[in-house]
Parts: sequence; structure tokens; C-alpha cells
Amino acid sequence: MASDRVGSPPASPAADHRGRVWEPSQGSHHNRTEIRVGGLGGQGIILCGSIIGKAAAIYSGRHAALIQAFGPEARGSACSAQVIVADEAIGYPYVRHPDILVLLSQDAFVQFSPQLKPDGLVLYENELVQLGGKLPATARSLGIPATRFAEELGRRLVLNIVMAGFFTGATNLLSIDAVEKAVIDSVPKGTESLNLKALMKGYEYGRGLVTPI
Amino acid sequence: MDRDGFPRVARLKDGSSVEISLASAADGPALLDFYRSLSDEDRLVLKDDVTTPGWLARFLAKLASGAATSLVARADGRICGEVTLHRNLHGWSRHVGEIRLSVAADRRGKGLGYSLAAGVVKLAIDLGIEKMVAYLVESQIAARKTFERLGFRKEAELARQVTDLRGAKRDLYVYANDVSHIWAAMEALVGDYSPHEGG
Repeated sequence: MASDRVGSPPASPAADHRGRVWEPSQGSHHNRTEIRVGGLGGQGIILCGSIIGKAAAIYSGRHAALIQAFGPEARGSACSAQVIVADEAIGYPYVRHPDILVLLSQDAFVQFSPQLKPDGLVLYENELVQLGGKLPATARSLGIPATRFAEELGRRLVLNIVMAGFFTGATNLLSIDAVEKAVIDSVPKGTESLNLKALMKGYEYGRGLVTPI
Repeated sequence: MDRDGFPRVARLKDGSSVEISLASAADGPALLDFYRSLSDEDRLVLKDDVTTPGWLARFLAKLASGAATSLVARADGRICGEVTLHRNLHGWSRHVGEIRLSVAADRRGKGLGYSLAAGVVKLAIDLGIEKMVAYLVESQIAARKTFERLGFRKEAELARQVTDLRGAKRDLYVYANDVSHIWAAMEALVGDYSPHEGG
């Protein structure tokens, strides 16, 4: 419920686990933030990217673009979403060097981590993805056991919504209000309540990781 | 207020209001008082003898384990209604939840039963329950209407299954509400697949 929010919208820049601060516009032109969400079919990758884009474009008054890619099978094949959030119109909608990677599978990490900007941020499902020290020294990373959280909430299906909440809490890009509206707008009727719980679970976990000590 | 929106105030048809909250161990003594205040006829249609401390201990253990989720309605400092979702955490019917509903005689006909049942149906969907059932005696006409308003339909009829206080045999109806389609829609949404698109 709205009354349980921890800070809305995020008021202070987020610090990563190494004590540095994440600013969504750093390394980008015109406050353009490039995001790649990667995982497997059936994990709700496209929906996760769509919610981020909707929250930015419809509920935050910014510009957003979404490119989706998925394999021929309904489940298990590689899947990714490219999302761009900007303050100005987006002329080129593809993500070449993401500022933020949201990763839900090891294959996605292997495929997309080389594209990450040197000072980029990796948000990953830490029971599905092992970073293995392959990130640039200047990159930052935050993990969340999103699958376990989703299962504890009652439905593994809401894993992607936990990740959307984690994204919101761990970055300073979108307000939780905007993302909450995007979730309600995106999920089937009757599932809103659990999806919002999943969103807040990820959000609070993300905020907890980046709150300065 | 917790994530499920409880406690919340429900306005009844007669203008009165009750507070509906998630039941906890602290509600145990008040629950016993509530059930002991029900008439013999009312208690006859309950599956358990809910007036004993032994029942309460078993009920609270189920609450603690997650095998039961309960809402209680309070007015004037006492419990005036209770609804529980019972479920098997293991086994072939773990997707099924059984709803049991009780309302104090002086609060009936005012919409309290509907408020409680609607609340627990929403909780059940959030918990991942795909099918809900309620066992209702043929004479429980108001309760049957309440569950029908929530999407339940009579799925089975057990003839002469219940003996009332006067020794008469009554039919027992199994009402059911299959809500699996709600999450099937979500499952389709997270499929990351379209037969018409790709890339």
C-alpha cells in the first residue's frame, strides 16, 4: 500500500555497495539513460522493460523508447528489452552501451556485460547470475534474490516486478509513484495487489542497499 | 496498515461500521468468546467444535504455519464476524483453498459476510490460490447468495449430508470459484513471446 512506501520519490542520490553514488545522467548526453533488461523467455523481461518505459514516458513526462527481442520459443530462449529514458526526443532508439543492465540470467550477463559503460550499473538476480569478477573496476553492481522474494510472496511470476522495484529503489531515475502507476496499468486485473507487493519488496530492498551508512 | 490493506473499516448497510483486520494469536480469546456466543444451530454448520481451547490451539497453529489465513471483524470491542481461508500447503490440492465464514446473528443481513468473504477472496488470489471452495447447507440461502456474488457456483451437491438439531437431513452444496484464469493472464503476459513478432 502507498502508506508503506520508503521515500517517494527517491530524494537522494543512491550510493552503491562500494560507497559511491549513482547518478542516472552520468556518462549520458541530455540526461539520456540507456537500459538493457536481459534474461530468458518466461521471466517477464519485456514487461519489466515496458514498465520502466511507461513509468518514464506516461507517468513522469519524459521520453522513452522500447525495443524488444525474444527467441522462437515461448519459454527458455534468450530475451531482452532495450529501454531508453531521456529528457529530449529520442532519435536513435537502440541501446549500444547501456548505463544500466538489469540481468536475470547468466547468458544475459555474458552477452551484455561487455557492452556496459565503464561506470555503468549492473542490477542482477543474484541467485541466477554470477558476476565472477568480470566487470570493469569502475562499474558498480547490486544483487537481489528476486526469484526467492517472488516465491515467498506466492508467485514466481512476479519476479520481473520485484526487479522493476529493485531498479526503482537502486537508481535515481524514476519515482516509485510513477512505477507503481505503470505496474497497475500493465498487469491483468485481479493481480494488481500481489504485483504491487512485489514492486515494493524490490524497491525497499534496493533502497536498503543504497542507503548511505 | 499492512500491505494487504488491513485493518480497514467496512460500512454496513444499516450505517454501522466494523473494523476488519488480519487475525493473529492475540485474537484467540476473543475468537473463542465469539464462537461460544453463536447458537447451537449456527455451530452445527461449522466443521469443528469451535468452543474448545483445543480447537483454538490448532487454529492458531494453522495461522502460524500459513495453512490458515483469517480475517476478523470487530465492533463495540468484540468480534462479530470471522472468515478463514484454509489450505493444504502440500499435496494435490495445494492450489485449492476452503473458505469458512461466520457472522454474529445481530450483524447478519447487513453486508458484513460479503465484506469478509470479499476480503479473504482477494487474499487467496494474492496467495496463489487457484480455486476456492465453500461448503454450504441448502438452508443457508443468504450465505449462498453472498458467495454467488463473489463468483462462486454450485459445483457439487451431497444429498442428506447434514443432520440439523431436529434430526432432519439436509443437502450440502459445494460452491467453487476457479480463479486460475486471473494468473493465467499474467503468465501469458510474462511469456516474452509472440507468434507474430520476434527479433
